Amino acid sequence: MRLILGLALLLLLALGALGAPLVQEALGHDPFAPDLFLRHGPASPEHPLGTDELGRDLLLRLLYGARVSLAVGLATALAAAVLGTAIGLLAAWRGGALDAVLMRLADGMLALPALPVLVVLAAADTGRIGLPRGEPLSDIIRIVAILTIFGWVGVARLARAAALSVLARDYVRAARALGAGEGRILLRHVVPNIAGPIAVATALAVAGAILAESTLSFLGLGIAPPAASWGNMLSNAQDLVFSAPWAAVWPGLAILLAVAGCTLVADGLRR
Amino acid sequence: MIRLLAARLVQIAVTMAILSFAMFLLIGLMPGDPIDLAIAGDPRLTAEDAARLRALHGLDQPLLARYAAWAGGLLEGRFGHSRLFAQPVADIIAPALVSTLVLLGGALLLAGGIGIALGLLAAARPRLAPAVDAIAILGQSAPSFWLGILLIILFAVTLGWLPAGGMSETGGLDSLRFLVLPVATLAIANLAAYARHSAAAVGLTLREPWITAARARGNGEARVLLRHAFPNAAVPVLQVAALDAGALVGGALITETLFARPGMGKLIYDAVMGNDTNLALVALLLVALVTMLATLAADLAQRALDPRLRDA
Amino acid sequence: MKPRLVALLAIASLTPALAQSPPRDQLTIGITQYPATLHPNIESMAAKSYVLGFARRPLTVYDQDWALTCMGCDTLPSLDNGMAQRETTPDGRPGIRVTWRLREDLRWGDGRPVSAEDLLFAWQAGRDFSTGFGGSEFYRSAYEAIVVDPRSITLRFDRVTFEYASAGDWQPLPAHVERARWEQEPRSYRSRSAYETEPTNPALWNGPYRVIQVQPGAGITLERNDTWAGPAPAFRRIAIRTVESTTALEAQLLAGQLDMIAGELGLPLDQATALERRVGARFRIGYKPGLIYEHLDVNHDTPLLADRRVRQALVMAIDRAQIVSRLFDGRQVLAHGNVNPLDWVYDQSIRQWPHDPARARALLEEAGWRPGPDGIRRNQAGERLTIELMTTAGNRSREAVQQVIQGMWRQAGIEARIRNEPPRVLFGETLSKRRFTGAVMFAWISAPESVPRTTLHSDEIPTAERNWSGQNYTGFRNAEMDALLEAIPIELDREKRRALWQRLQAIYAEELPAIPLWFRADAHVWPRWLDGVRPTGHLAPSSLWVTDWAVR
Repeated sequence: MRLILGLALLLLLALGALGAPLVQEALGHDPFAPDLFLRHGPASPEHPLGTDELGRDLLLRLLYGARVSLAVGLATALAAAVLGTAIGLLAAWRGGALDAVLMRLADGMLALPALPVLVVLAAADTGRIGLPRGEPLSDIIRIVAILTIFGWVGVARLARAAALSVLARDYVRAARALGAGEGRILLRHVVPNIAGPIAVATALAVAGAILAESTLSFLGLGIAPPAASWGNMLSNAQDLVFSAPWAAVWPGLAILLAVAGCTLVADGLRR
Repeated sequence: MIRLLAARLVQIAVTMAILSFAMFLLIGLMPGDPIDLAIAGDPRLTAEDAARLRALHGLDQPLLARYAAWAGGLLEGRFGHSRLFAQPVADIIAPALVSTLVLLGGALLLAGGIGIALGLLAAARPRLAPAVDAIAILGQSAPSFWLGILLIILFAVTLGWLPAGGMSETGGLDSLRFLVLPVATLAIANLAAYARHSAAAVGLTLREPWITAARARGNGEARVLLRHAFPNAAVPVLQVAALDAGALVGGALITETLFARPGMGKLIYDAVMGNDTNLALVALLLVALVTMLATLAADLAQRALDPRLRDA
Repeated sequence: MKPRLVALLAIASLTPALAQSPPRDQLTIGITQYPATLHPNIESMAAKSYVLGFARRPLTVYDQDWALTCMGCDTLPSLDNGMAQRETTPDGRPGIRVTWRLREDLRWGDGRPVSAEDLLFAWQAGRDFSTGFGGSEFYRSAYEAIVVDPRSITLRFDRVTFEYASAGDWQPLPAHVERARWEQEPRSYRSRSAYETEPTNPALWNGPYRVIQVQPGAGITLERNDTWAGPAPAFRRIAIRTVESTTALEAQLLAGQLDMIAGELGLPLDQATALERRVGARFRIGYKPGLIYEHLDVNHDTPLLADRRVRQALVMAIDRAQIVSRLFDGRQVLAHGNVNPLDWVYDQSIRQWPHDPARARALLEEAGWRPGPDGIRRNQAGERLTIELMTTAGNRSREAVQQVIQGMWRQAGIEARIRNEPPRVLFGETLSKRRFTGAVMFAWISAPESVPRTTLHSDEIPTAERNWSGQNYTGFRNAEMDALLEAIPIELDREKRRALWQRLQAIYAEELPAIPLWFRADAHVWPRWLDGVRPTGHLAPSSLWVTDWAVR
């Protein structure tokens, strides 16, 4: 039930994101071209949700913003899932000192005050370490990279716990006795059996990343204009929230729905 | 128990040392400093002034030398001066920490109170569980600054019941009014975890045979719930609280900015942005320490509450 | 729960909160910055100037009409009244000696008169460069101080500039409180100064108000200074509250917690005009265009931007009047050069660049840039006409303008690629080390008639050899401009100086070292019952004239 509801929500948002060019075709205007005569326009047939502070269509920007926000969420979650699973598996499989070091590292990350560190990382000059500065795609990569630094921890802990119990099972021992290689055991027996908990953690990571992107935007460290993301739409609307509340309400609701969708999916998977 | 405690304390110390160095490097990697910014903002400052002021503040030293000097001072108990505020770091952090802890305490109490109440409700009346779930999910899904702005518009601007932010000038009971909205903003995002964990734990406990026994002895449902089932649900809730405490000390930045309450989150942000390494590092380390100690305390309390864990 | 909140949101714009009628002996002012220090000479920041404006009196100041006037002194020194005299320095250069006489009734909050000793101490501390005062040029030039009598002091300067009568940031410091602390060790004086350790000490303040309470990060409370002998201010208490988020600032104003928002550190213009449209009945909004020059610095070392025709096309392709009227309600003054029309040296007849897309296109053609298949122009070598357009990330108003400019340039076949950086990175590295290739939007803040030497002289181009000093980020070089920049400061005759300024403006308008946009306006929000606040439009805060403020 929850799983279906959550998936339906996310599917709806994803369809909107993918269908953005079609909607643009139907409405017939460019969501990235400012029109100074249309600032904060009310809802109308041409602009179903009205226009933003630069006269651009809010609905279209929400849909294109969904691409960026969902991409940040999914990419962060995937990166965290891959990294986290790899570290968790490694820790469980090798055990001993490596396990201890990796898990202490994870504990240390959990103890870090995440937001201030995110701020430091987001404000650090990526140009110095060779990453390009400022462009939309590199912005997304930068934010995904920063959020992944914190995202892998949850996945790794879950993956390790699950992998430990699987590795102790009889069929793994049997496979080993039959001479199966370690790589094969991990890939064929362990990974499929720990997919459940990892999926839960990944769904939650998507939610966390979408929220974190909006927080970074509030601090002016998010996705740069003219690209739209839900976070920067919300943050751009806040100055004029008293005179044009809808420009802030819509992206806020979009974030709310996306995060709730991910949480529902995670809940559904857990049962 | 003692050995465990000692091991954890050592671990905390090592983490702090690594953390301090990493943060120092990161802050050092950020280009520009307030003196550059001062030049951009004040036409009367010349480039020579900038070089002179930078030397005066020790900003022209290499990064490692500055770290060594700072860390050495810290070990001797000298926290140093904040360059941004020209005051001893301890004098700046103390009031900020108090303010944050007040906010945090309020938020934990409110989130815990409402969350647990909702959890118990969901466990006792399964038909209400979906509604409780919906509230919890919506609460944790809203971006906090968006939620904060909505609360301000509703309660401060439209209804005029509560102040929109800032601190009380008269102190005493009046300062409670100033706490309501920021505490609510923080608590709404956090109550979900309490509701879920307490609902799950109480739900499990209610199936235990000794609960049935308690009911059979003629205890009322409310009494069963509060006296028998709830204490068993306290353990997971305690752990959630410990994790929250850490996240909130540093993470109240948004709430502090929106409600114009000085606190640790804002202080760290300003210090980092202003290249005030002394202040930023001490504050960051303090927050990390509080987080780790809270986790440790929760673990110890858990052991005390749950006899099964004592031997482990 | 959510739908109700949303419904109420819409109502929010219609129903203003009930304004409690505040006791009129207190004025609560909101600003967006907290002063990092209260020491008058250390670090210059707008929030500090604003607070100190209530509590301290500088010697001289530029007033609301942008004329230099006496505030702490009783007569403005001049060559005519004999308080300034040309002389020769010991090493044979032309010099000047200037005498300032303090007002007789100026007193510190503990009752002691402000004396020449206080000025002498301030000069000594400033002269010792390890003290860490900003703006050392004044102290470098003032090589000798002579106390004439308890109220008068003479400084000897090794340079004669038209600004000789201005004492600048050199202001009396209470020597009876501060001298001992400074003499103990100048290097660490900053952190031991009473302005840092006991800011509520009345002896630190000589203005109409004194500081009685400091809440770090949150606010500063001032109370009438009993020893103030000038006209009595209207309010017993002034509370200054820091709210950094402008959304929250407006909320506190609407909730009745703040009486006014200081324009020096207040709401962005578009937020203020929106506020005026909604609740204009409760508040009066004063817009004051100021000496804040918003412009695009372009890098002249980039071949395409080195071409003057391209720079001229860039200006004419932007409909600046439209941007100002739509985004800023017509409240900002268009800039045709770097001199503000309100400055007396402004030349009405300088060349103006109207919005003229046809001429912009013609100039680009002439420069060899022809339209390509995607509408973006290309030169003979096939390079696209692409300009990197940067500004301070997180500044919503600039980011909005930037996107509009991007759209307008596109119409002319110019592609702008937006790349923004946080202020620390932009000012601390990209601009100051000239690491930008295209155009950067930011502002210069200045005092009336300030000579733009650091931004236009070819000696001020930052290079590694010069340790990146200088602010001529564009790399503009023009021999005649250099000569003018050297001649203007030492020309004491107003009319001759005006002619030099006219020439400077003519070169600027023709050569376009930078693309002028407009002069930013401050939006001051006052309650309807408050009268007499007059913003200056330059660095001097309106709070210096608090004794003119009155309840209607």
